Amino acid sequence: MTEGLRTEEFQVNMGPHHPSTHGVCRFILTMDGEVIVRAEPVIGYLHRSLEKICENRTYAQCIPVMDRFEYCTSMCCNEVFALAVEKLAGIEVPEYAEYLRVIMMELNRIASHMIWYGTTALDLGAITPFLYSFREREDILDMFEMTCGQRLTYNYIRIGGVSKDIPPEFIPKCKEFLATIDHKIDDYERMLTENPIFMVRNKGVGTLSPEMAIAYGVSGPSLRASGIKYDLRRDDPYSIYNRFKFDIPVCHNGDCYDRYIIRIKEMRESAKIVRQALEQLPNAEVNTGKMVKANFKPAKGEVYSRIENSRGEMGVYIQSTGDTKKPLRVKMRGGSYNQLQVMPELVKGVKIADVVAIMASLDIIMPEVDR
Amino acid sequence: MGIIKKVPVYAEKFPGGGIITTSLNYIFSQSQASSLWYLLFGTACCAIELMATGASRYDFDRFGMIFRASPRQSDLIIAAGTITKKMAPRLKLLHDQMAEPRYVIAMGGCTVGGGPFYYDSYAVEKGIDHIVPVDVYIPGCPPRPESLFEGCLKLQEKVKLQKIQDWS
Amino acid sequence: MTFEELTTYLTEKFGDKLELLETGKFEPFFLIKKENLVEICEAVKTDDKLLIDFLCNIGAIDTGEKFEIVYNLASIKKNIRFDLKLVMEYEGAEVDSVQEVWPCSNWYEREMWELYGINIKNHDNLTRFLLPDEWDQGHPMLKNWDAPDFKRMPEVE
Ligand code: SF4
Repeated sequence: MTEGLRTEEFQVNMGPHHPSTHGVCRFILTMDGEVIVRAEPVIGYLHRSLEKICENRTYAQCIPVMDRFEYCTSMCCNEVFALAVEKLAGIEVPEYAEYLRVIMMELNRIASHMIWYGTTALDLGAITPFLYSFREREDILDMFEMTCGQRLTYNYIRIGGVSKDIPPEFIPKCKEFLATIDHKIDDYERMLTENPIFMVRNKGVGTLSPEMAIAYGVSGPSLRASGIKYDLRRDDPYSIYNRFKFDIPVCHNGDCYDRYIIRIKEMRESAKIVRQALEQLPNAEVNTGKMVKANFKPAKGEVYSRIENSRGEMGVYIQSTGDTKKPLRVKMRGGSYNQLQVMPELVKGVKIADVVAIMASLDIIMPEVDR
Repeated sequence: MGIIKKVPVYAEKFPGGGIITTSLNYIFSQSQASSLWYLLFGTACCAIELMATGASRYDFDRFGMIFRASPRQSDLIIAAGTITKKMAPRLKLLHDQMAEPRYVIAMGGCTVGGGPFYYDSYAVEKGIDHIVPVDVYIPGCPPRPESLFEGCLKLQEKVKLQKIQDWS
Repeated sequence: MTFEELTTYLTEKFGDKLELLETGKFEPFFLIKKENLVEICEAVKTDDKLLIDFLCNIGAIDTGEKFEIVYNLASIKKNIRFDLKLVMEYEGAEVDSVQEVWPCSNWYEREMWELYGINIKNHDNLTRFLLPDEWDQGHPMLKNWDAPDFKRMPEVE
């Protein structure tokens, strides 16, 4: 009787319009029953050719384009580009502006992790956490808005400094936010950390070994969840990160649950950094730096600068010929690009429902992949 | 009774209740305008703003707008985010799968006319209005949640004015 | 390792296979020949002093005269960073895949093949992935590329 029975592989198409693929990623899954045999990501549905656009813009005009590269942490995108050009042209950034940059970047990191927290819970079927995390995110956006007038694409960190000083009401608002954030994060944890359903869906799912993580270039929280203590803020310090004390959380299992724990802890660490930065903020001279002009030409050279953003190593390679106002080449590197590349390895042999959990826990965001 | 005066109904009372007579047109357009369910179609930055609009502070639900994941259940596509040449056929497909009457809101500069990617981009569709018919354009990069509200209210006005005979 | 230590170490190890470029003032940039690419990559990965295990980025550049390819490398264990660079003519541009050394190079190389038309030897999956499937307008990242609906931003002074 059993001789006649056989199973056959079939294909399931997931995306590009799928609510849990965080934008527009598409997977072609080859399935055997409910188990995945092979997965092939198809990307490019959000390929906006940012690199080509940057080649035809002056250096100052590239900054708003960088905003759209990774809109959850636009401040970091601004910073990485500004950092690269400052290196090329040898521009010094005033201390005051450096502090503002750090404050903004860390607040932005918290905001980005809040988006991740909300959408991850949403993908796994819980709606309430989404409402909670977006409530606190609005507070951060208010602070950004009063500083630079935008809620999402800031164009605040410019080459040579920041675009303007913070308004007087920023600091009280920020202190108020920092005073409550830890309790809010406790609330978040109460909702998910020991939630039995959440644990079953995440523990032991999508285990990424440290060797594989490094081989595939996975970075950021996903790498630290696999037990490798590597954070560019400490290992390749940029800006003024070496003046602050903060921990780098590490976990050792490398599964979806650990990646969750890491990000929750990181929010607390970022809040710590902002607190210290507010304390040390030099009040004596308010100097936000001198912006570069439209006809600014850095010297001939090439540079790859990298920073730690909420999804891993974000880098930008710039080559300048020295005699034009426009960069010859801008190549962007986002953490999600490599995180998505390792997905086919992670989803082999898991059930189809876990694809969503794994994708959510890696915090993949498509514009960073497609550019 | 204030509201009754403004709407085209004829109300007759009798002990223990009453009868309201009105046109079918009115009933349909009113109820449709106040429960426009939108398809979750976010591709890029504007999608984050769309999510924020649906979340706690702005609370999209009070306009009767709830997101659906399937085009079959929705009346409206809010096209939030850049539509590239590769994505354009998918947008068309989703629009075709929706039941009539269906509406499209173009949210953000990208969908209105290419936005920041109008120049120098080889991959971005310059405006979605040559793929699907657009009812309301909301400019901005990204538009604030308030502008999205404004756009939705405009759309509701439009829906209220329509006639059953217009449905194809 | 500091900049000087790293450059002396690498030049001693590889001799004339490497050439230090002076455009990289901030981090060592080395010009290499494409025949030696895989060999050098393997050597830097296995060398005890370097242990370059992390490939940050691969980028192709069209300078208007030639193609350049830049490999941004890093070591997590030793905390080192440097870059390798290849230069080649347009005619028959071809490079070996370093997929065996760093598996994540797969997509970077695929992207290079798609957007610049640089052929990759020994690559296991050279298929279109960023551009639409029906794309027939060539390699859009080339400097002299043009298409009917492609508009350049007008110059403003
Ligand atoms: S309009 Fe602006 S914010 Fe909206 S998707 Fe386009 S680039 Fe992003």
